[in-house]
Amino acid sequence: MPVSWPARVTAASSGSREGAVLGELPPGSEASTVPPAASGDSDPCPTLKPGAKSNCIIVSARQRGNPILKFVRNIPWEFGEIVPDYVLGQSTCALFLSLRYHNLNPNYIHERLQLLGKTYAVQVLLVQVDVKDPHQALKELAKMCILADCTLILAWSPEEAGRYLETYKAYEQKPADLLKEKVDQDFLSIVTDCLTSVKSVNKTDALSLLSTFGVSHLLPIRVQTGPCHC
Amino acid sequence: KGLTPPVMAAPLEHENQVFLDLFHQDGLVICARGLGIDRILLRFLRLYCEPASLVLVLNTSPAEEEYFIDQLRSDGVVHLPRRVTNEITSNCRYEVYTQGGVLFATSRILVVDFLTDRIPSNLITGILVYKAHRIIESCQEAFILRLFRQKNKNGFIKAFTDNAIAFHTGFCHVERVMRNLFVRKLYLWPRFHIAVNSFLEKHKPEVVEIHVSMTPAMLTIQTSILDILNVCLRELKRYNPALEVEDLSLENAIGKPFDKTIRHYLDPLWHQLGAKTKSLVQDLKILRTLLQYLTQYDCVTFLNLVESLKATEKAFGQNSGWLFLDSSTSMFVNARARVYRISDDKISKKSKVSEKMDIKERKELKRELVLESNPKWEALREVLKEIESENKNSEDLGGPGQVLICASDDRTCAQLREYIIAGAEALLMRLYNKTFGKDERAGEEWIKDRKAVKSKGNARSDKGPQAKKAKVEASSKQNKIMKKQDLTLTQMMGKTEEENIEEEMEGYKELSSSEEISIEETKPEDFHLNLASDAYYGIFKTPLTIIHPLQGCSDPYALTRVLHEVEPRYVVLYDAELTFVRQLEIYKASKPGKPLRVYFLIYGGSTEEQRYLTVLRKEKEAFEKLIREKASMVIPEEREGRDETNLDLVRDSTSATVSTDTRKAGGQEQKSVQQTIIVDMREFRSELPSLIHRRGIDIEPVTLEVGDYILTPDICIERKSISDLIGSLNNGRLYSQCISMSRYYKRPILLIEFDPSKSFSLTSRGSLHQEISSNDITSKLTLLTLHFPRLRILWCPSPHATAELFEELKQNRSQPDAAIAMAITADSEIVPESDKYNPGSKDFLLKIPGVNAKNCHVLMNHIKSISELVTLSQDKLSEILGNAVNAKQLYDFIHKSYAEAISQGKTKR
Repeated sequence: MPVSWPARVTAASSGSREGAVLGELPPGSEASTVPPAASGDSDPCPTLKPGAKSNCIIVSARQRGNPILKFVRNIPWEFGEIVPDYVLGQSTCALFLSLRYHNLNPNYIHERLQLLGKTYAVQVLLVQVDVKDPHQALKELAKMCILADCTLILAWSPEEAGRYLETYKAYEQKPADLLKEKVDQDFLSIVTDCLTSVKSVNKTDALSLLSTFGVSHLLPIRVQTGPCHC
Repeated sequence: KGLTPPVMAAPLEHENQVFLDLFHQDGLVICARGLGIDRILLRFLRLYCEPASLVLVLNTSPAEEEYFIDQLRSDGVVHLPRRVTNEITSNCRYEVYTQGGVLFATSRILVVDFLTDRIPSNLITGILVYKAHRIIESCQEAFILRLFRQKNKNGFIKAFTDNAIAFHTGFCHVERVMRNLFVRKLYLWPRFHIAVNSFLEKHKPEVVEIHVSMTPAMLTIQTSILDILNVCLRELKRYNPALEVEDLSLENAIGKPFDKTIRHYLDPLWHQLGAKTKSLVQDLKILRTLLQYLTQYDCVTFLNLVESLKATEKAFGQNSGWLFLDSSTSMFVNARARVYRISDDKISKKSKVSEKMDIKERKELKRELVLESNPKWEALREVLKEIESENKNSEDLGGPGQVLICASDDRTCAQLREYIIAGAEALLMRLYNKTFGKDERAGEEWIKDRKAVKSKGNARSDKGPQAKKAKVEASSKQNKIMKKQDLTLTQMMGKTEEENIEEEMEGYKELSSSEEISIEETKPEDFHLNLASDAYYGIFKTPLTIIHPLQGCSDPYALTRVLHEVEPRYVVLYDAELTFVRQLEIYKASKPGKPLRVYFLIYGGSTEEQRYLTVLRKEKEAFEKLIREKASMVIPEEREGRDETNLDLVRDSTSATVSTDTRKAGGQEQKSVQQTIIVDMREFRSELPSLIHRRGIDIEPVTLEVGDYILTPDICIERKSISDLIGSLNNGRLYSQCISMSRYYKRPILLIEFDPSKSFSLTSRGSLHQEISSNDITSKLTLLTLHFPRLRILWCPSPHATAELFEELKQNRSQPDAAIAMAITADSEIVPESDKYNPGSKDFLLKIPGVNAKNCHVLMNHIKSISELVTLSQDKLSEILGNAVNAKQLYDFIHKSYAEAISQGKTKR
């Protein structure tokens, strides 16, 4: 059974990997041993589709025993039959890679990425930096991620890696407001902010325009300033 | 004013030799601190101040530039050096360069001008590098020198530094510096150089060393602090066995550079350290401040610091335990004993009831002020008396001589001035009242008492007043004051040296002015007097007596200027500082025949003395090491890079261009293309452009509106250091940068670059919260990647790694076009797959209340233009948006009139 964390590095022989990918997934029996959040273990969903809505992080069985699962505490998770290691939302998934494992089996991640293809909009490669000199490996992974359209995320501890998984799931639907510049919530600030998004309109212009016209009159003006093919 | 303008003194013997050596062959001069490296640079500047030559000076600060220009002006130089800063537009710069002379140029500008060939490199006579020891850390100057050598094989490079200690650390430091400077010669001028020594011996000033002994209380305190320091150091070693033992000696721990040393060792593994180690490092810093305060300031200030430490400990409960050691108890007891004692009857009473007594009661105990005076003050008074009596019969010397008193910082200077004018009692009393409550009565009575004692002819202070009783402020008020002290304490920790208190003073005209000097208040305004420096304190007019701080002036040459203007006959060194002592030697030597007497006040057997000696020893050792290294150094013939054989100048262009060919079948000719990266102008503060250039990739500096580096027509990179990353994630800048990058480039990339000297980690150990917090940088990064699926992230441990990665990312891809990259603004055409909607309209809509990222596309699918939006009814809107609340917000916003909005805004306010 292929594992991608150091605990079982010695047990993993590179030869047996291909056969194990799908063949060794034991559906019902093992799912019942899942400790937390095993709400669906009486009726495991082996046919779970990647796109199906779920409140849980879906974890591939190949991740069983990965210490980072111990640190996924704020979000429920369950095992499921999936291609990536983790499904973190309808359009988000993650592959986990420990650098120590990667150094021993440099081809592993390559094959996983190929198998994954481009199924999800956001495909995270979650790398745990657990070797002393990670730079060469990180450089290769960085290039690989650009070619494979993956988002590279580094974590330096299992806690941190677990936290990333939680956050991806928790923020699945979160708007980007947190990242945006704060705008005062009164009418004038909003209108000014709105109008100044048009090039060649500055704050003073916005105010004088506004005092002359109402917003309903201003919007058509916006149309004349630039083409708008909605 | 009877002050003569500063005239450059006649060159000294050894200076002549330094100058000639360096003039004949390029090299690096390392000269002892205070031995006048600035004077040597000045001679070169004077030599090249003519239109026929073009000489660039690197690494000077504005204050230094001003000093050099002033000096040259007073020497009557016509073609004065000019400064090339961003005030001169890029178009005018070529003209400035071709006018010749000496130019102080901002490094960033020079890099860009060399890269774009705006500077006529073949016309440059040479480059002078000041503070050359910094060449390794500050990458821009090294880049400039490399660009210069690549394009100009004949010009000179001469480098200067007076920081020998900087070469003491690291492996082959001096050799690496010389390699970066492209020089073959190393000129060492330590103070013990035979030429320097014999010359200065001939012009020795008269030195009176006064070893002041500390009071018993001070000695006990010092011993206690040293004990505690020792314990802390042992602890630190126990927790971090990897630390080099040699550097963690007690002797080093009391010196100023200790913090730097310890950070140097701990920074790379800072994220792995436990809380214990971190607080130990902090404690060491506090203890060092305590030691410094002990000898530097008066008993009240010291007690204040000690008490506030205790208060902080109580308030926050965080210290690594040294406060509970026996030694620290002894320190507290003695610190208090220097200020007051609790009268005998009370003490017996206290011991009886001490267990039941709560804090409030104890506060009400009567105190009897002792207010121990500083021994150095007395010594200073003696010295001044001696000078005065000598000045009285000084006709044969041409009238009374001027006096210059030097103390380390501004606070000391202010205290000394008050001491000389008002006396020790008044000063200490004022400080006491200020810091420990407005205890007017005790103060007055104490003064009265002192006067009575004085009138009896007994001037000794340690007799003290007889059982005067005073009530101390209620505990609540005390606490308030304590809190305030905490604040000042933390400020003092960081910036004791820089504490710059400008006193607008024409005080020396009023002989016995007793005006209050506010020590805590800082007045930033500069008040220009006739003297060149504005940081001095005048005391008497005849003979002119001035106190000047040794450090912390805004102008680094303030003291030098004052020295040359005042021309003192007597210099009193209240605090010893190596640079100034040497400067005095040089000053004396440059004015032979003029009498100069130096009084050297130092506490015998104190850490102050030890610190001074350590600095001396360190410099001596550094020079000895340099001499050994110089003897065994192997310098390649081509080091100077005047021909094509210096490998440092060879840009690694083979790998950058040929690599495309290797896979082609043999014999197939392929045109090799010069690799290029377009770099934003603002990026030249970092080391990265220089490293990229070194890899044989051409750099095109332009001003980019989107991105920092354009690698290929598709790849656009925004580089963020960790602090930038946190800042720009918080203020929304990174979000908008990502928006524009994704709009105009197929492959937008965020590069997170770590500082190689810090730990390669985003979050430190144990900083993770139990729950997901939206304030964490990792959470924000997650959200960012969720919203920009096409955004790639690169994590680079150092600029070197980044440059390597850039080169590899460029392989087999086409070159970017600077004109296109520059033209990318909000109006440009967008990348087709990024958005099928007009980005301008989308931005506009997203800013309207009720429209969000989720319903925006739905809305845009339903309307043809924004003007159509106005015609829609509220019902129709809610049908489109699928949400009545959003629809109402949107509708109200569109149909609100300006007058309505204003009136609404008013009622809100």
